[in-house]
Amino acid sequence: MLCCQVGHLTTQRDCFASLAMTLLDSRHSGQAYRGNDTTEQLRAVRCPHLTALEDWIPAFAGMTPQNSSFKIQNSKFLRAMSLLRKKKHVLVIGIDGTPFTFLKKHIEAGDFPTLKSLSEQGAFAQMDSVQPCISSVAWSTYMTGKNPGKHGIFGFVDRTPNPFRIIIPNSKNMTSETLWEILSRNGKRVIVINVPVTYPPRQVNGVLIGCFLSPDIQKAVYPPSLMPAIRARGYRIDVDAWQARTDKEAFLNNLYYTLNKRLEVSQYLMKEIDWDFFQLHIMETDRINHFFWEHYENEDPKWSPRFLDFYRRVDAVIGELLGMARDGDQVIILSDHGFCTVKKEVYLNQALEEKGFLVLKADAKSVADMLPETRAYSLIPGRIFVNQEGREEKGTVEIGSHTEEILEELEEWLLTLKDDGTGERIIKETIRGDKLYHGDQLPMAPDLMAIPYDGFDMKGNVKPGKLTFKGDLVGTHTFHDAALLVRGQQLSVERPQLMNLMPSILGILEVNTPKDVDGEPIF
Amino acid sequence: MKDMGFTVWFTGLSGSGKTTIAELLQEQLIRRGLKVELLDGDVVRQNLSKGLGFSKEDRDTNIRRIGFVCGLLTRNGVVAIGAAISPYKAIRDENRRQIGNFVEVYMSCPLEVLAERDVKGLYRKALAGELKNFTGVSDPYEPPENPEVVCETDKETPEECLRKILTKLEEMGYIAPDRRDYTPEEEKKIEERLRALGYL
Repeated sequence: MLCCQVGHLTTQRDCFASLAMTLLDSRHSGQAYRGNDTTEQLRAVRCPHLTALEDWIPAFAGMTPQNSSFKIQNSKFLRAMSLLRKKKHVLVIGIDGTPFTFLKKHIEAGDFPTLKSLSEQGAFAQMDSVQPCISSVAWSTYMTGKNPGKHGIFGFVDRTPNPFRIIIPNSKNMTSETLWEILSRNGKRVIVINVPVTYPPRQVNGVLIGCFLSPDIQKAVYPPSLMPAIRARGYRIDVDAWQARTDKEAFLNNLYYTLNKRLEVSQYLMKEIDWDFFQLHIMETDRINHFFWEHYENEDPKWSPRFLDFYRRVDAVIGELLGMARDGDQVIILSDHGFCTVKKEVYLNQALEEKGFLVLKADAKSVADMLPETRAYSLIPGRIFVNQEGREEKGTVEIGSHTEEILEELEEWLLTLKDDGTGERIIKETIRGDKLYHGDQLPMAPDLMAIPYDGFDMKGNVKPGKLTFKGDLVGTHTFHDAALLVRGQQLSVERPQLMNLMPSILGILEVNTPKDVDGEPIF
Repeated sequence: MKDMGFTVWFTGLSGSGKTTIAELLQEQLIRRGLKVELLDGDVVRQNLSKGLGFSKEDRDTNIRRIGFVCGLLTRNGVVAIGAAISPYKAIRDENRRQIGNFVEVYMSCPLEVLAERDVKGLYRKALAGELKNFTGVSDPYEPPENPEVVCETDKETPEECLRKILTKLEEMGYIAPDRRDYTPEEEKKIEERLRALGYL
């Protein structure tokens, strides 16, 4: 009886195992193995691994254990079986905001030997991020395999429409199961460190250390019993990004310290726990990019070499983690978005207020201080909401034709927005929320996304006084330039998406992907 | 946080706004990531309680049935919203005892206002004597003595009613406040981190 017929998990390994049993039966009976029958059976039950198995079937067809070549084929087959039966592990390292083009350039220049070696052993591809392309949304998409309309995370800052409040979404706002929760449910042991939107830590079969939304280490570690060991190793939740403005040298030192501690804790946990899935998230790459990308691009004589040195250290840390992995472990390195130099910060609410879409109290601190006359307001980055009656607390715009009129007006007007300094156009395109997203969280989605040209950093603050500024943050995110590196695999698509990773990883670990996942496996 | 289900029970005269507010509440709770089921009296009478009339006995059976389902949902971690006139205090209290995590919302509205609103045209018929056993007109309604929330739907907007209920649920620990899992100091710390990165 083949596995597919008895309704077991139809993994390649199961099919090989059932084929082996069929072979064993024929050996015991001393009759010739009838390969064609097996092929027909596999075809009849639409075995997904037919092609892989078919390679073996003819090798045995017509043989009995007395055939001299049977032994040769049998030993080859058993070796293949044993390889497939070996327990699989997946090691993922997230390098937040590291652009594909940047990695490619420096891999080719020989700056990153670990990544160079990895890229030569498998796939290295440019990847699209998500809209809006910020870490909380991107990593939520990665870890759920779903679009934000299903996982419910649309930004680091969000709003509840009624009562209208500005909130900082965390893992409790994520309305979907994560990769590591599914793995845990299927008995896999996981180690997950620092992935954005994992605070408060949700229960896993293993360890989870929350992201930079954790107030402190005390509340960040699951299970809490591991907290003392993590704390004793000097683990740090995040660097102090204010320091980058006042003391770049100290900021860099802290980046190194935080990165090294993440490595130390990773090594400790990898030794302590018999893991099936490990993921470390390196946030420091995003942090250095925000404050040094312009220096790097402009080849600043002081900071550009220091910037590159830090990435060399990241490469070395990846190398050390790979040293902890076992032979044959699946290694995946990825980033969630690209980076470029900030041309200007863009304060969309300033423009919305000047144009009369947004009406604020005189002393407004945020869009929570808008007045009922407001027709539209914006949250970072470029998310625009109509102040809709029945949805927003002080909503006054009727659903239907009135909302549609405002959206059309906004779409036309946004494309005309220009940098008041250079006259450059700011918004490349606008996309309606219901075109970008689908799922039961759609009511939380923006009505419209204003997507800027690269270099314009969309902000959500109110009353800055001007539409555009050049601020302290000199690097900003790009959509099209995330990176994916997969050891020992080729990708089935040219242009992978973040949501493809989760079902691919579940496949490697032989765990079924939930039906409502949007992404398709790509290796 | 109480990591369990609960029942929000709307009681009040016909047309007082039970279904309207229950639906708004359902939407809000779903947005907060909760599993929510709404058992609306009018809908339940078309299936679970099909065939039941409006005698006291039938009304009691109807409310017991809704309460029973709410109890099952509640004990399985789901938020159950019951919205039915549920005129008799004894049966409501029985449901409260049986369910445990029970939040009673009294939709208060003077009869004159309801008769004026008369969305379903029922008050006109009842006042004309065409409808028997019509609660508030030809059948009694026993207001709750200690409901968790009172919504005065002749004075308060649906949004105000909703906010009252959400606030009460937050206070009682059934749902997390919007800014969750942070003390005020911690919240400040996280905001500061986000501000340093230009997100706030």
